[in-house]
Amino acid sequence: MQSKDKDAYIEHIDVEGFGAKASTTSDISMTVDGLNLFYGEKQALKDINLDIKKGEVTAFIGPSGCGKSTLLRCFNRMNDLVDTVRTTGEIRLGDKNIFDKDVDVARLRRQVGMVFQKPNPFPKSIYENVAYGLRLAGVKKKRVLDETVEWALKGAALWEEVKDRLNESALGMSGGQQQRLVIARSIAIQPDVLLLDEPCSALDPISTLKVEELIAELKKEFTILIVTHNMQQAARVSDYTAFMYLGEMVEFGETDRLFTNPEKKQTEDYITGRYG
Amino acid sequence: MSHADLHLNTHISKQFNAELDDIRQRVLTMGGLVEQQVSEAVRALTEADGELGEQVANRDYKVNAMEVGIDEECTRVLARRQPAATDLRLIIAVVKTITDLERIGDEAEKIGRMAARLASNPPPNGSLPAVEAMGRRVSMMVHRVLDAFARLDAEEALEIAKEDRRVDSEYESISRQCLTFMLEDPRTIRPVMDLQWAIRALERIGDHARNISEYVIYLIQGKDVRHTSLAQVQAELEGNG
Repeated sequence: MQSKDKDAYIEHIDVEGFGAKASTTSDISMTVDGLNLFYGEKQALKDINLDIKKGEVTAFIGPSGCGKSTLLRCFNRMNDLVDTVRTTGEIRLGDKNIFDKDVDVARLRRQVGMVFQKPNPFPKSIYENVAYGLRLAGVKKKRVLDETVEWALKGAALWEEVKDRLNESALGMSGGQQQRLVIARSIAIQPDVLLLDEPCSALDPISTLKVEELIAELKKEFTILIVTHNMQQAARVSDYTAFMYLGEMVEFGETDRLFTNPEKKQTEDYITGRYG
Repeated sequence: MSHADLHLNTHISKQFNAELDDIRQRVLTMGGLVEQQVSEAVRALTEADGELGEQVANRDYKVNAMEVGIDEECTRVLARRQPAATDLRLIIAVVKTITDLERIGDEAEKIGRMAARLASNPPPNGSLPAVEAMGRRVSMMVHRVLDAFARLDAEEALEIAKEDRRVDSEYESISRQCLTFMLEDPRTIRPVMDLQWAIRALERIGDHARNISEYVIYLIQGKDVRHTSLAQVQAELEGNG
């Protein structure tokens, strides 16, 4: 995927953000500042502070219930959908706090896209799945739609496999293909940030490798945050890794260092499979 | 943190615990054999015991076989367990350590062969005490570095690196002495050249022991201290308290 392609299509799409444009000078994409999150009385995230580097892959690892998915879902306010959730602190995209009252959440989510554990294509054709977000964004011209769908499918390393059956139902695809289709759907609307919540846990090893390969390609244009239970996957795909435990950010650093010489014993115990 | 604990027996997988423990034990066994080879080679040399020298030389195959066995086991663990952090550093340190141990074995073999030749064609009087002292120091280095590996003692490992400097200067001084012997009496050239080969081997053993001490520091602290001055290494260790 060439970045000039992206620029060529970007003008046709309503890429207006939720009120802030990601800074073009800083190498920081998003900043988490003193974030706390409560489910009712129970505190699920405790004073999280973190800078997400632009154009890099940041992985979140930790045992079940450590808060990594909860944290990921904060980045595009998916937790708003849960009634009992209350947050304090900030997450900034550019210089805008995404929790501010005047933030248009739909637009935020256009800028910070998300892919879930189980592929969730719409019961529509392959083409319509990818074009869906574009249509929502008001794109009507057939030529622009065609070109963007092709670009997104190529970006998701799926084009060669589906170019002759774009009008067939997406539900007939394999799990791995569906997951890449969902990624194509996410990138079609040109987000700044892509959130991947265990994107490979329902996939076979070959499909997993394809998605991992795709992540390496996508990071050239998007900032990627990934939650994974597979530590080797975090080690393979990410530039930075955050280890979380019981709602706290225990250690955050360059993946290469964290997996060879972690600073904290808790991190060490987790990544080497020891009793905590 | 001179006596680090890698908590090698605390994995959820007991089998993994057993595999890592087995590898460590085998390295120590191999080290024990290599240590014995070095000290017997030195004894054969200084006591002009040609038979012992031959025995040492003929025993080197055992060291080689142990290296191959441990190497295979490490490859298996890498493939099956994808170790991380200290587990990964242990495997890497072991793979490197056994390479140096095997080379130490090769040097001991050389010393054994030289000892056998020198037994029938002895070097000039007065040439051996300095060699004996150097041999003792080098044997001790091998012993101590294995000890540092077993006890995960980074400070002891640093001491061994320092010791290697003394070995180097002893080598220089004996070499000069050898030159003098040969200049004074050309008939001594043959045995003195053999002796020169033997002390060269001792000097190399010192280097290998120092290499192993660097792997021990890497294992414990995760820092690669190869090609670093002693003062820098010391500062690093102290920085880590």
